[in-house]
Amino acid sequence: MDKAKILIVDDDPDLRRGLNLRLRANHYDTAYATDGFSAIAMAQKEKPDLIILDIGLPAGDGFVVLERLQENASLSAIPVIVLTARDPQATREKIMRGGATAFFQKPADNAELLSTIRSVLSPPWPGTVATMA
Amino acid sequence: MSNRHTVLLIEDNPGDADLVRLRLVESESDVDVRCVDRLSAGLQQLGDESPTLVLLDLNLPDSHGAETFRKILNKAPGVPVVVLSGQDDEELAVKAVHQGVQDYLVKGEFNSTQLARAMRYAIERQALLTSLDISRRQQLEFKNQFLSHVSHELRTPLTCIHQFVTLMLDGLTGPLVPQQTEHLETVLRSTNQLRSMIGDLLEATRAESGKIRIEQQCIAIGEVIHQVLSMLRASAQNKGIGLEIGVDTRIPLAFADADRILQVLTNLMDNAIKFTAPGGSVMVKAFLLESDPDFLYISVSDTGRGINPEVKAMIFERLYQEPGTIDDSRKGLGLGLYITHEIVSLHGGRIWVESEPGHGSTFTFTLPLFSLAKLLLPAVVEEGKLRSSLSLITVELTPVSAQAVGNWREIRRQCLELLRSCILADKDLLLPTLGIEKREAFLILAAADLHGTEVITERIREQIARAPDLQGRVVGNVSAVPIALPTRDNSEPIEKQVQELADSVTELVMAVLLKPRNLEPKKINTKVN
Repeated sequence: MDKAKILIVDDDPDLRRGLNLRLRANHYDTAYATDGFSAIAMAQKEKPDLIILDIGLPAGDGFVVLERLQENASLSAIPVIVLTARDPQATREKIMRGGATAFFQKPADNAELLSTIRSVLSPPWPGTVATMA
Repeated sequence: MSNRHTVLLIEDNPGDADLVRLRLVESESDVDVRCVDRLSAGLQQLGDESPTLVLLDLNLPDSHGAETFRKILNKAPGVPVVVLSGQDDEELAVKAVHQGVQDYLVKGEFNSTQLARAMRYAIERQALLTSLDISRRQQLEFKNQFLSHVSHELRTPLTCIHQFVTLMLDGLTGPLVPQQTEHLETVLRSTNQLRSMIGDLLEATRAESGKIRIEQQCIAIGEVIHQVLSMLRASAQNKGIGLEIGVDTRIPLAFADADRILQVLTNLMDNAIKFTAPGGSVMVKAFLLESDPDFLYISVSDTGRGINPEVKAMIFERLYQEPGTIDDSRKGLGLGLYITHEIVSLHGGRIWVESEPGHGSTFTFTLPLFSLAKLLLPAVVEEGKLRSSLSLITVELTPVSAQAVGNWREIRRQCLELLRSCILADKDLLLPTLGIEKREAFLILAAADLHGTEVITERIREQIARAPDLQGRVVGNVSAVPIALPTRDNSEPIEKQVQELADSVTELVMAVLLKPRNLEPKKINTKVN
């Protein structure tokens, strides 16, 4: 089975690098985007299986990205996990309404994040082994 | 007065009203006076357009005494009010001033100059208060935004440290020698400490500005306690501290926000572990007190060094820190117990500490028990109409444990039968049953006054306790509230009115039950009995 591809959208280079290492160590393929505009372009180019999205981004914040993804027929089915430093109490509802599958506040617990990624990526039909860490 | 003002005069005595008008004319104040003789008309005027000032008689045909000024202040908090008091109720007028009215004048004892001055100062004072309030709010808002921003900015580098330290600890960057692992674990511990401090900082700000949100629903406290225990077991074991639990399985459901109570219990138990020496123990209990039947008690006791009596009062205050902590762990920000206190208060509960220095401490807090009837109270009771000959009785069945239940349908059927035997078939109405998983709520509209309702509820309690098939398997929680028939067309037959009420009550119960976010709408079904 091919590796699942995850698009990491974050404007902080160190956070991208760290998350990239973590995901690759868990046998995922990764791609990067550094702002809201390139996030959509990369999503179209790379056709990722999952997007991990920061909220505070230049050139269209995470909410705008969520909205664009929803509007685009070829992208709206890609699940999105939001990973943000923002106050969850103030933003969680808005994010979930925007179509995100899950929400984590930075710094997220690695085990929890990976298990959410696995369950989001595991195909809905029975008898298939999900990508394991 | 320089600008043209509008004065709303609420006075039912035409003579008194005319006198006030005369004084206003004499004072050559440039004012428009609107006069009404009922509180209801006054409230309506306030809703339509705010006057500059209200002159208020406290005893009106439709409202008396303190109720009068409270309603006005409530309706238009920014409008200055001057009370027109009689000679015999000056005391009440003074009370009104304490509660937010700007001034009072005794009828027949003021001249035009005094009236004009009272009005002018009332307007000035109110304007000052309003601007003070606005600037206080702005400052608070600024501080909140600042803290929210800072905590956001702090989290990004913190996330980076956390990510790379865990990458190294997980061996993803190459093998580590044991000493490196040990050092990195120290870094990770500090990182986590910093993370929780940043969280506390934001939370305390929210508490202070009343922005902590809680979503109360029915929760089983035992589950929350077990969750906390499993989270803290490792750290207790590492320190050689035993964790004990004493929760009666028959404890009823609480009405609380599970996430918030998890937070409260984690904080209390974390503290208990921190301040207890190795070899000691921490005990968490949940229990009921006969003297306080509406609340659930949860206590966390430790065998630590205890708390000095003089600091007991300060311990729940913001930024309080225990001086001279002997523990090797660092001090926190001193916000944990403050946040805990605020969360418990928001639930309508209390928290306190009992301690004997050298012999440990016990923190106890209370949470309201879940009661359908109480939840429905604000919706079904019309204000000021508590004397009613109709009441809503709710009977909630909760299984003692999953194993004890067996055939739930059968238990439900038996309870229905039992309830039918307790009510009068031609007067009282058993509404459709509401079931959520293995919990059941029965609703009865009883045509009974307070005493009659008490008789019925007592009978139901007795019967449930005595029914052989229910004993030891379910807990029955019976409560009642008096309700008022909505005012409607009296020409309709009473049966129809009651049926309509029954429908709206059922709808209401559904709404209350559906609101909690963790209960999926599809799990709730109504069954017509």
